[in-house]
Amino acid sequence: MSANAVSLYLDPQIRDWVLFPITLVMILVGFLRHYVVVLLQSPPKKLPRAAIREQRALARAQILRATAVHSPIPPQTYTSISNYLSDAFATGAYLKDGPPKGDGPSTAPNPMTDPAAMDGMMAGMKTQMVMMVPQMIIMEQTVKLPFPLTLGFKSMLQRGIETPDMDVRWVSSLSWYFLNFFGLNGLYRLVLGNDNSADSSQSMTASPFAGGATAAGPQDYAKLFKTEKDNLEFSEGLYNWVGKDVEDRVLRKYGKLAPAY
Amino acid sequence: MSLQSALEKLASYRTNNTRDSREVFRQGVFVLKSGKTSNLGDDGWAFLEQLTLASIDVGRLDVADQCLKQLGERFPDSPRVDVLNGIRMEATESPSTVLSYYDELMNMDPSNAAVWKRRISVLRRIGRVEKAVEELNEFLDTFYTDAEGWLELADIFASCNQYNFALQALAHVLLLTPQNPFAFLQYAETAYTAGDIPLALKMFLVVIDMNDREDEDTIPLGISVRAWWGIKLCTRQLIASTSSYTSLSNTAVPKNIKLIDELATERVLTAYSGEQGVQTRSLVSTWMSGR
Repeated sequence: MSANAVSLYLDPQIRDWVLFPITLVMILVGFLRHYVVVLLQSPPKKLPRAAIREQRALARAQILRATAVHSPIPPQTYTSISNYLSDAFATGAYLKDGPPKGDGPSTAPNPMTDPAAMDGMMAGMKTQMVMMVPQMIIMEQTVKLPFPLTLGFKSMLQRGIETPDMDVRWVSSLSWYFLNFFGLNGLYRLVLGNDNSADSSQSMTASPFAGGATAAGPQDYAKLFKTEKDNLEFSEGLYNWVGKDVEDRVLRKYGKLAPAY
Repeated sequence: MSLQSALEKLASYRTNNTRDSREVFRQGVFVLKSGKTSNLGDDGWAFLEQLTLASIDVGRLDVADQCLKQLGERFPDSPRVDVLNGIRMEATESPSTVLSYYDELMNMDPSNAAVWKRRISVLRRIGRVEKAVEELNEFLDTFYTDAEGWLELADIFASCNQYNFALQALAHVLLLTPQNPFAFLQYAETAYTAGDIPLALKMFLVVIDMNDREDEDTIPLGISVRAWWGIKLCTRQLIASTSSYTSLSNTAVPKNIKLIDELATERVLTAYSGEQGVQTRSLVSTWMSGR
């Protein structure tokens, strides 16, 4: 391509009928998506009481362990709580379905078989579908930016046009779409508030499977309880009552005893 | 009183969890009368909830009903509004009606902690303490981290003279809020009442140890005065009973008990050295010298 000649003639109608509509449609689609997602969102599922109990049982042991090195409670109370929790974990008293009957091979629960997990996944899929639709209806046109750019922007701005010689200032409409796609987040935040669901770039990365399986997916509590039991035993070795030498500390603080060092 | 300052004050009450119902009611009615609640946004609903509770507290049920109506229209199925309705019912209805209302809510959602707690408080109020303790135990087995629940359990036990059970409940409060000297003070006083003097002494000393702001040159204030009095009471008993003191928790009596006793005497007397303490100081000294 020669440097001096005007490389391409851009019909102003392209600008009026392609670029502005793309931007406008992008913005409107963002708003629409936000409201559709709000409509589709299922309310957070309520956990049955037994499930909450199972989920929070680990926290009990963790709270006990957290202060074990300077524990606020006297030794006898500490050991009794610790033993109680160890026993409960060993027998599975905190498991949602009660203590295990026989000792069959314990398998990790499959997310597909748990109806509760399936519900969560469905909710994810529904919102995901809304995100995918607009990406399919995009055509290709070109626009010229009013400023020069280096060659490095070629892949960013001319997506879909395999012409190595074309000036980098030309932008394909597909690229324009993507620029809008990532760039409109600020506008959405301004109009819809901070936690809007209009921005599609975030939800693209979150798959309905990845989110459900790792964060809220079913966990093998029986196994977690076994580990926690070991942790409890370990903490019992570290246990130290905060009141053990407290009288010496107080006497030293008030200058009645010589400092220890 | 401007609308702005009233709203700011109410908002700070909400964040600090202050229950100054009379003041909240006074300011709240002013805001409500100005008719600006609808354009407060989300804060408006929190304000209505706050005003509802305050007006039930001061006995102005007409205002409470007015707020509840607005809240009920906006959030028809909200469990939070259900609880508010329950509290409003407690003010006028018979306990059995309220209990059956709460039972209905619990049947719909067995894991609603707020309703469960209200139910337990009603049970305790009408004297069904056994049932209340049973429910509270089950509640705490599920929602272990509810320190208020453990305190309530300790209070119920203490009111039935079951101080050792109260101590066990308080141990969980200590685990949950290990940074709160008032929890330690309550534990110490309960241990003292239960007769476990060595344990009480240790816990009183922990309260003193937790207080960074005071040393030998300052006058004990607030919680420390109470803790020093507690230490003095413990050391006095421990020194008086020459035989080895039996402790349920196997806590040993400190070796330098005499030194602690001296220090406690000194600190308590220092607490009464200020201008306000002068009159009572002689009384305290007489008590200190009397064995």
